[in-house]
Amino acid sequence: MSQQPGHSAPHGQHSSHRRVRTVRTVRPGQAREQDDRHDGIDTDNLETGSFPAIRADQKPQTGTKRGLSRAGLSEIFSGVLIALLCAGLGFGFVVQQRSVQSNYSALSENELVRLLDETNRQITQLESQRTTLSRQLTSIQKSADKQRQIQRVAKKNEEASGILSGRLPAQGKGVRVTITGKKHINAATLFNLIEELRNAGAEVIQFNSVRVVTSTYIVDIPTGVSCDGTALKQPYTFLAIGDPDALANAISIAGGVGSTLRVQYDAKVSVQKKDKIVISATAPVHAYSYATPVREDQ
Amino acid sequence: MAAIIGLICGVAIGLFVHPSIPVELQPYLPIMVVAAIDALIGAARSYFERSYSNKAFIFSFLSNVLLAALLVFLGNELGVGTQLSTAVLVVLGIRIFSNATAIRRFIFRN
Repeated sequence: MSQQPGHSAPHGQHSSHRRVRTVRTVRPGQAREQDDRHDGIDTDNLETGSFPAIRADQKPQTGTKRGLSRAGLSEIFSGVLIALLCAGLGFGFVVQQRSVQSNYSALSENELVRLLDETNRQITQLESQRTTLSRQLTSIQKSADKQRQIQRVAKKNEEASGILSGRLPAQGKGVRVTITGKKHINAATLFNLIEELRNAGAEVIQFNSVRVVTSTYIVDIPTGVSCDGTALKQPYTFLAIGDPDALANAISIAGGVGSTLRVQYDAKVSVQKKDKIVISATAPVHAYSYATPVREDQ
Repeated sequence: MAAIIGLICGVAIGLFVHPSIPVELQPYLPIMVVAAIDALIGAARSYFERSYSNKAFIFSFLSNVLLAALLVFLGNELGVGTQLSTAVLVVLGIRIFSNATAIRRFIFRN
């Protein structure tokens, strides 16, 4: 390391200073100063050859407990402080850089105008997009409404057809017709009674324990009648849901099925109007193997 | 060494934290950053001149930053904020350049 003349001068100064100070390191302020210089000179003078002696001279001195702890502490403290300050600098730098990137105050007029144009174009684009999307939304909502309506109708239909086909139990106002007699009552007469009830607007009919549906049949058998394969005996009970007055009339009208039963079969026919008739019997659902509904679009 | 570690840490924190500076601080931060950079370059120069001292660096750093912020504050109060901050920036820039020149001389002379 060839030193320039102007450069070596401070060196001499430093070393002489230090030599003086090493003698009286006891004073705390000076001890720190001395240590501050220490670094620079150490790194500086490694190769000069004249300074290691000083270092050897100095080390035991700083090794005294007070000097070392104070100097070391202040060294660590100032190192931490420097690190903190530089961290603050780096942090501030990055923050400022970011804020400049996102700040419009640093832009020129032209750039601002361009930005405004771009933003406006974007706004138009987004608005048109919004219109499209809201149109889509309304159409979807409309179709959803329609779907819901269809669903409601389907549900109603399902209930109605469920009652009609005898798949669902039903309840409501109606009449209870009880027929008690000793003589065998003809199946045709009983069927006639059912027809009368139907004509009078009976919505659901139960014959003893059998739900009467469209396909219900009644045939004579020796012990009485068989309805849909179930053998039934007297007394016969018909439960019918409908307008009670109309149903009662249909049975007990003069010359009607009620009087026929009384006259021909000597049976006792009682018709009770009820506010609540519960028909719990259900009919097995018929599986259609041949018939399919006709669709309008086919 | 501590300075380099601190710088790296600060940049990393700034990158990861995404802070937003308050509006009142916005005119001060750039000037403070430039003043701190000036202090850093000055410290580097004194390091090359073998007259570096931790204490001196810390004090010059703090006083530079505070003085710069104070000047900008004064300028804002007097209504010449932009001019004064420009003046501060010019002076700091000149200092940075002269210090950098001195450092360059030291590096290329040896």
